[in-house]
Amino acid sequence: MTSSYALRLLCLSLAVLFLVHLSVALAVTMCAPAMVRRAERWRAAAAARMMLALRLLPAASALFVVLAICIPSYLRLEPEGMEEEIGIGCLALAAMGAAAWGFSLARTARVMLRSMRCVRAWRSRRSEAVIAGSRLWIIDGAGDGAGPTLAMAGIFRPKLIVSREIIESLPADQLAAALRHERAHANAWDNFKRLLMLIAPGAGLFPEVDRAWARFTEWAADDRASEGDANRPVSFAAALVSVARMGPAPVPPLATALTANAADLQVRVERLLRERDESRPAPAAWIAGCLLTAGALAMLAFQPATLSVAHAILERLVD
Amino acid sequence: MRFFKRRARGALGYLEKAVMEILWSGGNACVRDVAEKLERPLAYTTVMTTLDRLYKKGLLDRRKFERAFRYSPRLSRNQWERERAGELVSGFLAGQSSDVLISCLVEAVGDLDQALLDELERKVCEKRRELERRK
Repeated sequence: MTSSYALRLLCLSLAVLFLVHLSVALAVTMCAPAMVRRAERWRAAAAARMMLALRLLPAASALFVVLAICIPSYLRLEPEGMEEEIGIGCLALAAMGAAAWGFSLARTARVMLRSMRCVRAWRSRRSEAVIAGSRLWIIDGAGDGAGPTLAMAGIFRPKLIVSREIIESLPADQLAAALRHERAHANAWDNFKRLLMLIAPGAGLFPEVDRAWARFTEWAADDRASEGDANRPVSFAAALVSVARMGPAPVPPLATALTANAADLQVRVERLLRERDESRPAPAAWIAGCLLTAGALAMLAFQPATLSVAHAILERLVD
Repeated sequence: MRFFKRRARGALGYLEKAVMEILWSGGNACVRDVAEKLERPLAYTTVMTTLDRLYKKGLLDRRKFERAFRYSPRLSRNQWERERAGELVSGFLAGQSSDVLISCLVEAVGDLDQALLDELERKVCEKRRELERRK
Protein backbone atom coordinates (compact mmCIF):
# COMPACT_ATOMS: atom_id res chain seq x y z
CA MET A 1 0.00 0.00 0.00
CA THR A 2 1.52 3.36 -1.02
CA SER A 3 1.08 6.17 1.43
CA SER A 4 1.89 9.76 2.12
CA TYR A 5 4.72 11.09 4.28
CA ALA A 6 2.53 11.80 7.32
CA LEU A 7 0.63 8.51 7.15
CA ARG A 8 3.93 6.58 7.01
CA LEU A 9 5.14 8.48 10.06
CA LEU A 10 1.94 7.66 11.93
CA CYS A 11 2.13 3.96 11.05
CA LEU A 12 5.80 3.75 11.98
CA SER A 13 5.25 5.56 15.27
CA LEU A 14 2.40 3.25 16.25
CA ALA A 15 4.37 0.15 15.22
CA VAL A 16 7.44 1.26 17.20
CA LEU A 17 5.21 2.19 20.14
CA PHE A 18 3.80 -1.34 20.14
CA LEU A 19 7.13 -3.13 19.65
CA VAL A 20 9.02 -1.21 22.35
CA HIS A 21 6.11 -1.49 24.77
CA LEU A 22 5.87 -5.23 24.18
CA SER A 23 9.59 -5.90 24.68
CA VAL A 24 9.90 -3.77 27.83
CA ALA A 25 6.65 -5.24 29.19
CA LEU A 26 8.07 -8.76 28.74
CA ALA A 27 11.24 -7.76 30.59
CA VAL A 28 9.17 -6.19 33.41
CA THR A 29 6.97 -9.29 33.67
CA MET A 30 10.05 -11.48 34.00
CA CYS A 31 11.82 -9.43 36.63
CA ALA A 32 8.68 -8.39 38.57
CA PRO A 33 8.63 -11.25 41.12
CA ALA A 34 12.27 -10.63 42.07
CA MET A 35 11.73 -6.85 42.25
CA VAL A 36 8.66 -7.25 44.48
CA ARG A 37 10.61 -9.52 46.84
CA ARG A 38 13.46 -7.00 47.00
CA ALA A 39 11.14 -4.03 47.49
CA GLU A 40 9.56 -5.74 50.51
CA ARG A 41 12.83 -5.07 52.37
CA TRP A 42 12.68 -1.32 51.69
CA ARG A 43 10.63 1.43 53.28
CA ALA A 44 7.05 1.27 52.05
CA ALA A 45 7.14 4.65 50.29
CA ALA A 46 10.32 3.76 48.36
CA ALA A 47 8.91 0.33 47.50
CA ALA A 48 5.70 1.93 46.18
CA ARG A 49 7.72 4.36 44.03
CA MET A 50 9.73 1.46 42.60
CA MET A 51 6.57 -0.50 41.74
CA LEU A 52 5.07 2.57 40.05
CA ALA A 53 8.27 3.07 38.02
CA LEU A 54 8.22 -0.59 37.01
CA ARG A 55 4.55 -0.39 36.01
CA LEU A 56 5.01 2.76 33.91
CA LEU A 57 8.37 1.75 32.42
CA PRO A 58 7.01 -0.02 29.29
CA ALA A 59 4.73 2.88 28.33
CA ALA A 60 7.32 5.53 29.22
CA SER A 61 10.08 3.77 27.26
CA ALA A 62 7.80 3.33 24.24
CA LEU A 63 6.82 7.02 24.28
CA PHE A 64 10.45 8.09 24.76
CA VAL A 65 11.69 6.00 21.82
CA VAL A 66 8.93 7.30 19.55
CA LEU A 67 9.14 10.97 20.56
CA ALA A 68 12.91 11.27 21.00
CA ILE A 69 14.23 8.92 18.33
CA CYS A 70 11.65 7.65 15.85
CA ILE A 71 9.93 10.92 14.94
CA PRO A 72 13.09 13.13 14.83
CA SER A 73 14.98 10.57 12.73
CA TYR A 74 12.06 10.29 10.30
CA LEU A 75 11.59 14.07 10.01
CA ARG A 76 15.30 14.70 9.55
CA LEU A 77 16.30 11.82 7.29
CA GLU A 78 13.22 10.77 5.32
CA PRO A 79 12.97 12.69 2.02
CA GLU A 80 9.63 14.47 1.64
CA GLY A 81 7.35 14.26 -1.37
CA MET A 82 7.94 10.62 -2.33
CA GLU A 83 5.44 7.85 -1.92
CA GLU A 84 6.48 4.54 -0.46
CA GLU A 85 4.85 1.21 0.27
CA ILE A 86 3.97 0.22 3.80
CA GLY A 87 4.42 -3.51 4.40
CA ILE A 88 1.63 -5.62 5.84
CA GLY A 89 3.77 -6.43 8.90
CA CYS A 90 4.23 -2.76 9.71
CA LEU A 91 0.51 -2.13 9.22
CA ALA A 92 -0.37 -5.02 11.53
CA LEU A 93 2.00 -3.75 14.22
CA ALA A 94 0.60 -0.23 13.87
CA ALA A 95 -2.95 -1.58 14.20
CA MET A 96 -1.98 -3.46 17.37
CA GLY A 97 -0.29 -0.35 18.78
CA ALA A 98 -3.37 1.76 18.02
CA ALA A 99 -5.63 -0.90 19.54
CA ALA A 100 -3.56 -1.20 22.74
CA TRP A 101 -3.40 2.56 23.36
CA GLY A 102 -6.97 3.15 22.17
CA PHE A 103 -8.24 0.45 24.50
CA SER A 104 -6.42 1.86 27.52
CA LEU A 105 -7.57 5.42 26.75
CA ALA A 106 -11.17 4.23 26.36
CA ARG A 107 -10.92 2.33 29.64
CA THR A 108 -9.49 5.40 31.38
CA ALA A 109 -12.38 7.52 30.08
CA ARG A 110 -14.90 4.92 31.29
CA VAL A 111 -13.32 4.71 34.75
CA MET A 112 -13.14 8.50 35.04
CA LEU A 113 -16.82 8.79 34.14
CA ARG A 114 -17.74 6.19 36.76
CA SER A 115 -15.68 7.98 39.38
CA MET A 116 -17.15 11.38 38.47
CA ARG A 117 -20.65 9.96 38.69
CA CYS A 118 -19.91 8.58 42.16
CA VAL A 119 -18.37 11.88 43.37
CA ARG A 120 -21.38 13.76 41.96
CA ALA A 121 -23.70 11.48 43.94
CA TRP A 122 -21.70 12.15 47.09
CA ARG A 123 -21.70 15.90 46.40
CA SER A 124 -25.50 15.93 46.19
CA ARG A 125 -25.87 14.65 49.77
CA ARG A 126 -22.82 16.15 51.45
CA SER A 127 -22.37 18.60 54.25
CA GLU A 128 -18.92 20.17 54.66
CA ALA A 129 -16.98 20.32 57.93
CA VAL A 130 -13.45 20.64 59.26
CA ILE A 131 -12.38 17.87 61.64
CA ALA A 132 -8.86 17.35 63.03
CA GLY A 133 -7.54 19.94 60.58
CA SER A 134 -9.07 18.23 57.54
CA ARG A 135 -11.80 19.73 55.37
CA LEU A 136 -14.19 16.92 54.54
CA TRP A 137 -17.47 16.00 52.96
CA ILE A 138 -19.76 14.27 55.40
CA ILE A 139 -22.14 11.84 53.71
CA ASP A 140 -25.40 10.64 55.21
CA GLY A 141 -26.28 6.99 54.55
CA ALA A 142 -24.28 4.61 52.38
CA GLY A 143 -27.25 3.20 50.47
CA ASP A 144 -27.74 -0.29 48.96
CA GLY A 145 -26.89 -1.92 52.29
CA ALA A 146 -23.21 -1.08 51.84
CA GLY A 147 -20.87 -0.12 54.67
CA PRO A 148 -19.91 3.48 55.45
CA THR A 149 -17.28 5.25 53.36
CA LEU A 150 -13.97 6.79 54.32
CA ALA A 151 -12.17 7.66 51.11
CA MET A 152 -10.12 10.23 49.22
CA ALA A 153 -11.63 10.81 45.78
CA GLY A 154 -10.51 13.05 42.93
CA ILE A 155 -7.29 13.58 41.03
CA PHE A 156 -6.10 17.18 41.22
CA ARG A 157 -8.25 18.51 44.06
CA PRO A 158 -9.05 15.33 46.00
CA LYS A 159 -11.94 15.39 48.43
CA LEU A 160 -11.98 13.59 51.73
CA ILE A 161 -15.30 11.73 51.96
CA VAL A 162 -16.48 10.38 55.32
CA SER A 163 -19.81 8.79 56.24
CA ARG A 164 -21.55 10.30 59.26
CA GLU A 165 -21.69 6.79 60.77
CA ILE A 166 -17.87 6.72 60.94
CA ILE A 167 -17.64 10.18 62.49
CA GLU A 168 -20.20 9.24 65.12
CA SER A 169 -18.76 5.84 66.00
CA LEU A 170 -14.96 6.35 65.97
CA PRO A 171 -13.29 7.92 69.03
CA ALA A 172 -11.46 11.20 68.31
CA ASP A 173 -7.94 9.69 68.26
CA GLN A 174 -8.96 6.93 65.82
CA LEU A 175 -10.82 9.33 63.55
CA ALA A 176 -7.83 11.72 63.48
CA ALA A 177 -5.50 8.82 62.59
CA ALA A 178 -7.83 7.64 59.81
CA LEU A 179 -8.05 11.16 58.38
CA ARG A 180 -4.25 11.51 58.53
CA HIS A 181 -4.01 8.28 56.50
CA GLU A 182 -6.29 9.61 53.77
CA ARG A 183 -4.48 12.97 53.74
CA ALA A 184 -1.22 11.05 53.26
CA HIS A 185 -2.73 9.51 50.10
CA ALA A 186 -3.64 12.98 48.85
CA ASN A 187 -0.17 14.38 49.61
CA ALA A 188 1.44 11.48 47.75
CA TRP A 189 -0.84 12.08 44.70
CA ASP A 190 -1.89 8.43 44.82
CA ASN A 191 -5.07 8.93 42.77
CA PHE A 192 -3.06 10.69 40.06
CA LYS A 193 -0.63 7.75 40.03
CA ARG A 194 -3.64 5.42 39.73
CA LEU A 195 -4.76 7.43 36.70
CA LEU A 196 -1.30 7.15 35.08
CA MET A 197 -1.38 3.39 35.62
CA LEU A 198 -4.77 3.25 33.92
CA ILE A 199 -3.60 5.27 30.92
CA ALA A 200 -0.47 3.15 30.43
CA PRO A 201 -1.48 0.13 28.35
CA GLY A 202 -1.07 -3.32 29.85
CA ALA A 203 -3.63 -3.37 32.65
CA GLY A 204 -3.84 -6.99 33.69
CA LEU A 205 -0.40 -7.77 32.24
CA PHE A 206 1.35 -6.89 35.49
CA PRO A 207 -0.96 -8.15 38.24
CA GLU A 208 1.90 -8.73 40.64
CA VAL A 209 3.25 -5.19 40.23
CA ASP A 210 -0.25 -3.68 40.47
CA ARG A 211 -1.01 -5.60 43.67
CA ALA A 212 2.38 -4.78 45.18
CA TRP A 213 1.95 -1.07 44.36
CA ALA A 214 -1.49 -0.99 45.99
CA ARG A 215 -0.13 -2.76 49.09
CA PHE A 216 2.99 -0.60 49.46
CA THR A 217 0.95 2.58 48.88
CA GLU A 218 -1.37 1.64 51.75
CA TRP A 219 1.61 0.80 53.96
CA ALA A 220 3.28 4.11 53.13
CA ALA A 221 0.11 6.03 54.05
CA ASP A 222 -0.17 3.91 57.22
CA ASP A 223 3.41 4.91 58.12
CA ARG A 224 2.68 8.59 57.57
CA ALA A 225 -0.57 8.39 59.56
CA SER A 226 1.18 6.84 62.55
CA GLU A 227 4.27 9.07 62.70
CA GLY A 228 5.17 11.25 65.64
CA ASP A 229 3.65 9.52 68.67
CA ALA A 230 3.82 5.95 70.04
CA ASN A 231 0.02 5.88 70.49
CA ARG A 232 -0.77 6.82 66.92
CA PRO A 233 -0.06 3.40 65.33
CA VAL A 234 -2.32 1.74 67.92
CA SER A 235 -5.10 4.29 67.39
CA PHE A 236 -4.85 3.83 63.67
CA ALA A 237 -4.85 0.01 63.93
CA ALA A 238 -7.98 0.26 66.10
CA ALA A 239 -9.58 2.55 63.50
CA LEU A 240 -8.81 0.02 60.74
CA VAL A 241 -10.49 -2.79 62.69
CA SER A 242 -13.51 -0.65 63.61
CA VAL A 243 -14.09 0.51 60.02
CA ALA A 244 -13.59 -3.04 58.68
CA ARG A 245 -16.31 -4.24 61.09
CA MET A 246 -18.75 -1.77 59.54
CA GLY A 247 -18.53 -3.66 56.22
CA PRO A 248 -17.16 -3.00 52.75
CA ALA A 249 -17.94 0.42 51.31
CA PRO A 250 -18.60 1.32 47.67
CA VAL A 251 -15.54 3.16 46.38
CA PRO A 252 -15.00 4.42 42.82
CA PRO A 253 -11.92 3.09 40.99
CA LEU A 254 -10.05 6.40 41.12
CA ALA A 255 -10.20 6.76 44.90
CA THR A 256 -8.37 5.42 47.91
CA ALA A 257 -10.38 3.86 50.71
CA LEU A 258 -9.29 3.13 54.27
CA THR A 259 -9.95 -0.62 54.09
CA ALA A 260 -10.06 -1.13 50.33
CA ASN A 261 -8.17 -4.42 50.44
CA ALA A 262 -9.68 -6.62 53.15
CA ALA A 263 -7.11 -9.36 52.48
CA ASP A 264 -4.29 -7.04 53.52
CA LEU A 265 -6.01 -5.87 56.73
CA GLN A 266 -4.34 -8.38 59.04
CA VAL A 267 -0.86 -7.59 57.70
CA ARG A 268 -1.48 -3.85 58.07
CA VAL A 269 -2.72 -4.10 61.64
CA GLU A 270 0.13 -6.38 62.71
CA ARG A 271 2.62 -4.12 60.96
CA LEU A 272 1.28 -1.10 62.88
CA LEU A 273 1.48 -2.93 66.20
CA ARG A 274 5.10 -3.98 65.71
CA GLU A 275 7.91 -1.71 66.85
CA ARG A 276 8.74 0.53 63.93
CA ASP A 277 11.85 -0.56 62.02
CA GLU A 278 13.62 2.68 61.11
CA SER A 279 16.67 0.81 59.89
CA ARG A 280 15.00 -0.39 56.69
CA PRO A 281 17.32 0.59 53.85
CA ALA A 282 16.46 3.28 51.37
CA PRO A 283 17.26 1.88 47.94
CA ALA A 284 19.88 4.58 47.21
CA ALA A 285 22.03 2.30 45.08
CA TRP A 286 18.99 1.26 43.02
CA ILE A 287 17.85 4.83 42.49
CA ALA A 288 21.38 5.90 41.50
CA GLY A 289 21.64 2.90 39.15
CA CYS A 290 18.30 3.65 37.50
CA LEU A 291 19.12 7.36 37.09
CA LEU A 292 22.55 6.57 35.60
CA THR A 293 21.05 4.03 33.16
CA ALA A 294 18.30 6.47 32.15
CA GLY A 295 20.90 9.25 31.69
CA ALA A 296 23.18 7.02 29.61
CA LEU A 297 20.27 5.91 27.41
CA ALA A 298 19.12 9.51 26.96
CA MET A 299 22.64 10.60 25.96
CA LEU A 300 22.85 7.70 23.52
CA ALA A 301 19.46 8.63 22.08
CA PHE A 302 20.55 12.20 21.37
CA GLN A 303 23.72 11.21 19.47
CA PRO A 304 23.46 12.13 15.76
CA ALA A 305 24.53 8.60 14.80
CA THR A 306 21.56 7.16 16.70
CA LEU A 307 19.12 8.91 14.37
CA SER A 308 20.81 7.38 11.29
CA VAL A 309 20.71 3.90 12.83
CA ALA A 310 17.09 4.44 13.86
CA HIS A 311 16.21 5.57 10.35
CA ALA A 312 17.79 2.45 8.86
CA ILE A 313 15.74 0.30 11.25
CA LEU A 314 12.57 2.23 10.39
CA GLU A 315 13.21 1.67 6.67
CA ARG A 316 13.35 -2.06 7.32
CA LEU A 317 10.26 -1.93 9.49
CA VAL A 318 8.19 -0.06 6.88
CA ASP A 319 8.97 -2.78 4.29
CA MET B 1 -11.85 -30.33 23.05
CA ARG B 2 -11.10 -33.46 25.02
CA PHE B 3 -7.41 -32.97 24.31
CA PHE B 4 -7.40 -29.66 26.19
CA LYS B 5 -9.48 -30.88 29.07
CA ARG B 6 -7.33 -31.17 32.18
CA ARG B 7 -7.57 -34.53 33.86
CA ALA B 8 -8.82 -34.36 37.41
CA ARG B 9 -6.07 -35.68 39.65
CA GLY B 10 -8.45 -36.81 42.37
CA ALA B 11 -7.88 -37.08 46.09
CA LEU B 12 -4.73 -38.62 47.49
CA GLY B 13 -4.64 -41.70 49.66
CA TYR B 14 -2.79 -41.79 52.97
CA LEU B 15 0.43 -43.25 51.53
CA GLU B 16 0.30 -41.02 48.45
CA LYS B 17 -0.07 -37.97 50.69
CA ALA B 18 2.88 -39.07 52.84
CA VAL B 19 5.04 -39.57 49.73
CA MET B 20 4.03 -36.16 48.34
CA GLU B 21 4.88 -34.50 51.68
CA ILE B 22 8.39 -36.03 51.50
CA LEU B 23 8.89 -34.80 47.96
CA TRP B 24 7.44 -31.33 48.68
CA SER B 25 9.85 -30.89 51.56
CA GLY B 26 12.88 -32.54 49.90
CA GLY B 27 12.55 -31.45 46.27
CA ASN B 28 13.43 -34.72 44.53
CA ALA B 29 14.23 -38.26 45.60
CA CYS B 30 14.60 -41.83 44.37
CA VAL B 31 12.44 -44.73 45.59
CA ARG B 32 14.96 -45.73 48.26
CA ASP B 33 15.17 -42.14 49.67
CA VAL B 34 11.39 -41.96 49.93
CA ALA B 35 11.14 -45.42 51.54
CA GLU B 36 13.73 -44.41 54.17
CA LYS B 37 11.89 -41.21 55.05
CA LEU B 38 8.46 -42.82 55.49
CA GLU B 39 7.26 -43.14 59.08
CA ARG B 40 6.45 -46.85 58.81
CA PRO B 41 8.72 -49.34 57.01
CA LEU B 42 7.27 -50.39 53.67
CA ALA B 43 8.46 -52.69 50.90
CA TYR B 44 10.54 -51.08 48.17
CA THR B 45 8.04 -52.24 45.54
CA THR B 46 5.09 -50.68 47.42
CA VAL B 47 6.82 -47.30 47.44
CA MET B 48 7.82 -47.73 43.80
CA THR B 49 4.21 -48.50 42.81
CA THR B 50 2.96 -45.48 44.74
CA LEU B 51 5.47 -43.18 43.06
CA ASP B 52 4.57 -44.62 39.66
CA ARG B 53 0.87 -44.03 40.36
CA LEU B 54 1.55 -40.41 41.35
CA TYR B 55 3.63 -39.96 38.19
CA LYS B 56 0.72 -41.31 36.10
CA LYS B 57 -1.68 -38.94 37.87
CA GLY B 58 0.54 -36.11 36.68
CA LEU B 59 1.65 -35.05 40.14
CA LEU B 60 5.31 -36.04 39.71
CA ASP B 61 8.03 -35.67 37.13
CA ARG B 62 10.70 -38.30 36.83
CA ARG B 63 14.07 -38.63 35.14
CA LYS B 64 16.50 -41.49 34.98
CA PHE B 65 19.64 -41.12 37.08
CA GLU B 66 22.14 -43.98 37.27
CA ARG B 67 19.65 -46.75 36.40
CA ALA B 68 16.99 -45.49 38.84
CA PHE B 69 14.25 -42.91 38.53
CA ARG B 70 14.41 -39.70 40.57
CA TYR B 71 11.00 -38.19 41.22
CA SER B 72 10.17 -34.53 41.78
CA PRO B 73 6.79 -32.80 42.37
CA ARG B 74 5.28 -31.22 39.29
CA LEU B 75 3.13 -28.84 41.39
CA SER B 76 3.95 -27.05 44.62
CA ARG B 77 1.79 -27.90 47.63
CA ASN B 78 0.02 -24.56 47.23
CA GLN B 79 -0.75 -25.16 43.54
CA TRP B 80 -2.03 -28.66 44.27
CA GLU B 81 -4.29 -27.46 47.08
CA ARG B 82 -5.63 -24.70 44.86
CA GLU B 83 -6.32 -27.18 42.07
CA ARG B 84 -8.10 -29.54 44.46
CA ALA B 85 -10.22 -26.70 45.82
CA GLY B 86 -11.08 -25.65 42.26
CA GLU B 87 -12.13 -29.20 41.33
CA LEU B 88 -14.24 -29.49 44.46
CA VAL B 89 -16.02 -26.18 43.89
CA SER B 90 -16.57 -26.89 40.16
CA GLY B 91 -18.02 -30.28 41.07
CA PHE B 92 -20.48 -28.69 43.48
CA LEU B 93 -21.41 -25.87 41.13
CA ALA B 94 -22.08 -28.32 38.32
CA GLY B 95 -24.53 -30.23 40.50
CA GLN B 96 -27.84 -29.31 42.09
CA SER B 97 -26.29 -28.12 45.34
CA SER B 98 -24.62 -24.93 44.09
CA ASP B 99 -26.85 -22.68 46.24
CA VAL B 100 -25.99 -24.72 49.33
CA LEU B 101 -22.28 -24.45 48.57
CA ILE B 102 -22.42 -20.69 48.00
CA SER B 103 -24.37 -20.04 51.21
CA CYS B 104 -21.93 -22.28 53.16
CA LEU B 105 -18.98 -20.37 51.68
CA VAL B 106 -20.50 -16.97 52.47
CA GLU B 107 -21.23 -18.10 56.02
CA ALA B 108 -17.73 -19.53 56.46
CA VAL B 109 -16.08 -16.36 55.11
CA GLY B 110 -18.29 -14.21 57.36
CA ASP B 111 -17.34 -16.29 60.42
CA LEU B 112 -13.70 -16.18 59.46
CA ASP B 113 -13.85 -12.37 59.03
CA GLN B 114 -15.47 -11.93 62.43
CA ALA B 115 -12.94 -14.25 64.06
CA LEU B 116 -10.08 -12.40 62.38
CA LEU B 117 -11.42 -8.99 63.42
CA ASP B 118 -11.87 -10.23 67.03
CA GLU B 119 -8.29 -11.48 67.02
CA LEU B 120 -6.97 -8.19 65.62
CA GLU B 121 -8.97 -6.22 68.18
CA ARG B 122 -7.49 -8.35 70.97
CA LYS B 123 -3.99 -7.60 69.68
CA VAL B 124 -4.74 -3.85 69.56
CA CYS B 125 -6.02 -3.91 73.17
CA GLU B 126 -2.94 -5.84 74.29
CA LYS B 127 -0.65 -3.31 72.63
CA ARG B 128 -2.56 -0.43 74.20
CA ARG B 129 -2.19 -2.00 77.67
CA GLU B 130 1.52 -2.55 77.02
CA LEU B 131 1.96 1.13 76.12
CA GLU B 132 0.06 2.23 79.23
CA ARG B 133 2.27 0.02 81.44
CA ARG B 134 5.39 1.62 79.93
CA LYS B 135 4.23 5.16 80.85
